[in-house]
Amino acid sequence: MTESAATAAPEVSVIVPISERYGDLEAIFREFGGELTRMGASFEFVFVVDGSQRACLPALRRLRDAHAGAVRVFVLGKSFGEAATLAVGIERATGATVVTLPSYFQVGPEGLRESFRILADGGADVVIGKRHPRQDAFVNRAQAAVFHWLAGRATGTHFADVSCGFRVMRRAVADELTLYGDLHRFIPVMAVNRGLVVQEVALPQRAEDRPSRYAGVGIYLRRLLDLLTVFFLIKFTRKPLRFFGLLGSVAFGLGAIITIYLGIYRILGFGGISGRPLLVLGALLLVLGVQCVSLGLLGEIIIFTHARRVSEYRVAEIL
Amino acid sequence: MTPDRLELSVVVPVFNEQDNVEILFNEIAEVLRGVSVRWELIFVDDGSTDATFARLRALRGADPRVRVIRFRRNFGQTPAMQAGFDAASGDVVVTMDGDLQNDPRDIPRLLDGIRAGHDFVIGWRKDRKDKLFTRKIPSWLANRLIARITKIPIHDNGCSLKAYRREVVQRTQLYGEMHRFIPAMMSLSGCTFREIVVHHRARRFGSSKYGLSRTLKVLSDLLLVKVLTGFTTRPALWFGLTSVPFFVLSALFLARSAYDYAVAPLEETVSIVFPTTALLFAAAFANLLLLGMVAELVVWSGDYRESESILPAADVMEKLN
Repeated sequence: MTESAATAAPEVSVIVPISERYGDLEAIFREFGGELTRMGASFEFVFVVDGSQRACLPALRRLRDAHAGAVRVFVLGKSFGEAATLAVGIERATGATVVTLPSYFQVGPEGLRESFRILADGGADVVIGKRHPRQDAFVNRAQAAVFHWLAGRATGTHFADVSCGFRVMRRAVADELTLYGDLHRFIPVMAVNRGLVVQEVALPQRAEDRPSRYAGVGIYLRRLLDLLTVFFLIKFTRKPLRFFGLLGSVAFGLGAIITIYLGIYRILGFGGISGRPLLVLGALLLVLGVQCVSLGLLGEIIIFTHARRVSEYRVAEIL
Repeated sequence: MTPDRLELSVVVPVFNEQDNVEILFNEIAEVLRGVSVRWELIFVDDGSTDATFARLRALRGADPRVRVIRFRRNFGQTPAMQAGFDAASGDVVVTMDGDLQNDPRDIPRLLDGIRAGHDFVIGWRKDRKDKLFTRKIPSWLANRLIARITKIPIHDNGCSLKAYRREVVQRTQLYGEMHRFIPAMMSLSGCTFREIVVHHRARRFGSSKYGLSRTLKVLSDLLLVKVLTGFTTRPALWFGLTSVPFFVLSALFLARSAYDYAVAPLEETVSIVFPTTALLFAAAFANLLLLGMVAELVVWSGDYRESESILPAADVMEKLN
């Protein structure tokens, strides 16, 4: 490869965040790179290795030495998680089109051609893969179905496979997605919320994606909290008090009813209330209510005083 | 100075108003032909799904004074107004609805109000052409309440036909559904305004995007504005004041439990209901105080400055007259 070809910005940047588990990275490069070559697109692979997955580095070194200029590798100092690795990859990508891939085969490269065509036609801003038909075990499929049903209810979107790692988008769109925590799972949802058009493309699930799906209580809990976060981010970032205020007023109202009841009970002389644990419950609900509302108010103050820095609308076009 | 120096930006948020935009443009152009100002007309297409944008594109092609901002999706009227304000370059910004219910013939009179030195001029639809029970009565009630709470006698907060000096809108950042309270918020921060009676016409094309349920939301938003303007200027004070009742309650229950312990014979146990209640209230008290400090930090790091929102009018006055 000549010097100039190595330094010119490629058309496509393929970002592979390696943070949880990884498969045959060289095979990923071979298959997806081969497809891109057949499509006649110049490309670079950006591998971002989370601090916890350094074991894959020898393979990546071999890859980089064999394909100088087409493979770039970044290693994070410690374990920052998938969203951070992905964000680093997007930041370092130089291509006009960004493809993100999971670090193992979820789907094959055959969807690239169609995804690029959809992007070029302007039919969508983000194309994501949808593993279909699925080869997973029944338990995994049931679990995914429940998760997607919940996610759909909470966010008002309908994705069949929201967390599929295969995504294609233009560079500007990728730059716009702020990723932190576990939000990379909800990229399509956040994109829709920003007014971007997201399209799913059905791709057959690869056999490599099937084994070793772990599922523990901790994982379920994290997914639920993620959902709650996304739900809040989408619905209430601009009106935190509506969210907290509702919760708070319910608690405060219940607390008020209980304490007023006890107060009347005491004043009318039905008996003492020093032995009634109900009073503790009433006080607790009052306190909880006030805390909720005041936290919501604090959120509202944050938005109110920082409103100039966050633009609420997204412009599609200016004539 | 020649009056030509006055530049006017008309901001019109539109959402599915395909039959109205062209008529509106013609009406505005007709009215402004008689006024010697340079003007621009900014349409903000809030994610319309009908032919609105195509019509706007045609208008833009025919007249360079038309500018069009198209949102990716429907974000709401407040963001649309804000986008228009962000893009406006005139000395005076006039906002109006895209449904033809406002009459562009009122614009020159709004301009006269600005020329007379007011920071903003708002329209009052004294003779509204809307449904009585779902629109007029709730709106009348809401306006009475807003006037009561803010102590600013505005008859018609909901009228979109308003004119502002640009400096005024540039200092205001709208979010949520705040566009209704621009007048109330602005006069709370010391701006002067005048209310003038404007024409109001019945809807000809398209359908209304408002309903009764809006009024309730408006009222809760209004309370929020009132609370926010108070809390944001002195958060620690207001959170502190909110915490006082909890301090009192906690002290009362604590005193009572101390008394119970003091008089109870040694071998008898005392119920823990009162001490626990006292501690709960004490926790709430402490929490509110601490939250007040965090709020102080938030405000300190933010951009809201009360003193900034009171604007010097002299420089603009000079330019206008």
